[in-house]
Amino acid sequence: MTAEAARATDRPVILSLAGLSKTFGDTSAVKQVSLDIPEGEFLTIVGPSGSGKSTLVRLLAGLETPTSGTLKLRGKDITALPANRRPTALVFQSLALFDHRTVGQNIEFAMKMKGVPADKRKARAHELLALVRLSDSYYERPVTHCSGGERQRVALARAFASDPEILFFDEPLSAIDYRLRKTLEVELKELHQRTGRTFVYITHSLEEAMIMSDRIAILKDGDLIQIGTPAEIYRQPRDRFVASFMGEVNILRVEDGTFPDIGRPAPADAAGAYAIVRPEDLLPGSRDVTAEYAVTQRLMLGSRTQLHLASPSGASFVSEIAGAAEVFQVGTSHAFGFDTDRIAWVDR
Amino acid sequence: MSRTGSPGPWFAAPVAIFMLLCFAGPILIVTWFSLMPSRTFELTAAFTLENYVAAISDGYARPMMWSLLGAAITTIVTALLAWPSAIILHRYAGRWATLVSALIALPIFISESVRLFGMSVFMMPRGGILAGSLNAAFGIEIGSILNTWNAALVGMIYIHLPFMLFPLLLGVSLIPADRIEAARDLGANRWQVMREVELPLAAPGLMIGALLTFVLCLGANAEAAILGGRAVTVITAAIEQRFNYAQDWPMGAALTVGVIAITAAIVLPVLSRLDLNRLTKR
Repeated sequence: MTAEAARATDRPVILSLAGLSKTFGDTSAVKQVSLDIPEGEFLTIVGPSGSGKSTLVRLLAGLETPTSGTLKLRGKDITALPANRRPTALVFQSLALFDHRTVGQNIEFAMKMKGVPADKRKARAHELLALVRLSDSYYERPVTHCSGGERQRVALARAFASDPEILFFDEPLSAIDYRLRKTLEVELKELHQRTGRTFVYITHSLEEAMIMSDRIAILKDGDLIQIGTPAEIYRQPRDRFVASFMGEVNILRVEDGTFPDIGRPAPADAAGAYAIVRPEDLLPGSRDVTAEYAVTQRLMLGSRTQLHLASPSGASFVSEIAGAAEVFQVGTSHAFGFDTDRIAWVDR
Repeated sequence: MSRTGSPGPWFAAPVAIFMLLCFAGPILIVTWFSLMPSRTFELTAAFTLENYVAAISDGYARPMMWSLLGAAITTIVTALLAWPSAIILHRYAGRWATLVSALIALPIFISESVRLFGMSVFMMPRGGILAGSLNAAFGIEIGSILNTWNAALVGMIYIHLPFMLFPLLLGVSLIPADRIEAARDLGANRWQVMREVELPLAAPGLMIGALLTFVLCLGANAEAAILGGRAVTVITAAIEQRFNYAQDWPMGAALTVGVIAITAAIVLPVLSRLDLNRLTKR
């Protein structure tokens, strides 16, 4: 937490959420969320579907009004300010491009609403096309003639055109194929570094969050349950939910000083009720905690291999090792172990 | 293609025959009659353009102007009334919206003449429903617009509102909610959202509603007769009068062809810009 405290002091807070809540009927989508976002940060809010993350970003953009709580932009209360008067822009999950207009008209929309003269709008639109790596020829093109990746870039340029102080992203990459998504994630991170703007990004994929963010906030059932840098979240998840949300992990219950799932004694300095062991830390050979496992599945991940293991008591485990690992055929048994300093301990 | 190929033409045949007999046929006969000498009942004389010349010189431009003006005013007023109604009905769709839509649609199932006579009773001076009730309840005495051009306009707006509202409702339902939110987020106020997003996206519905209302109003006769008390003569009344009282079929036919030509000149350019595929979501 010291790293976080340092960050909070060296940059002024641009957006401050205090007890922000939203209820629809009897369901509360967002519960008392408090959070300070420093200027220029790339913050990602991660949560499974139904966790209230979309509602939260809609509250921030001004498309929903909170049931209670306040929202401050550079210390100024903007809770009651409607979306069109907030200096923020949202990139929608659906992108919400104006299909009846050209790429240029889409990008110029915010400037046209402000009454910027046509020649200035056009010049700025061309700058923004260059910023999102689209050639000038796209200016006249109807948005309906653009591919998925091009539409993403148009949506991004359109959001930038309003010269927003904060950009919000509501899972804009969720409908895009894997390769293009990876490219756009890197481009988005570069764009953040080049422009220095504050980005608040919403996603259900912690992997996506890890790649891009300065800080990650994890949302579950409308509650903010952990905030930290990607490394902090990865090394020290707050509970089993956060740990398993990050990808496949091995969770070992501690009972009376032992791991009952593998029938081995737990380390004497066990700091929690559960031990989280990442697949890349459960490796063949003898280590601090070693046991015999049967291989139930062998999956090639390219340069790595994922092994699905079963302990003698029948509990499932996952191991990820380098190379093709030809010896670990399905049905064979091998000794696997992990070192105690690789364990992340959680209580829940 | 083989001889037993597509059965398409056979399936289209009943409609094609119907259209030939009941649409193309009458237009052909009316056009033919319009080229006959005045006050004849045969189609055998030599073609002449005298009826068209007479139509212009005899002052039929005036009834045509009343009809066009009435249709234009009705189209604009119904569009202005229907736009907010359609937005509200779409946004708060649910039990109430269904009920309200049903109440608006219900009068269509009642004969137009019955509704217009009802309107006439409502508007009547002194003992009429409106004037009588106001007098009895509040002691207020008002005049009446019955038997004026304004009364005819009120009648036309009343009769044709559903023909504007329902296509417009369909058009408004084509506007995705996120586009409106995106426009708001990018700084557009209510008015700008309507001009930049809602109107262009609802345009197909608006155009269909406008075409229906405009064309129906050009052919409307009962409103001017029942509520307008023939304060002005609309073109349909003039045509009816030529065919019936004056027994001048060629003249009536020439006026009819004129109306068809003017209608086509207005409707076809609009129709050609209409993207029906977008409306039916194909």
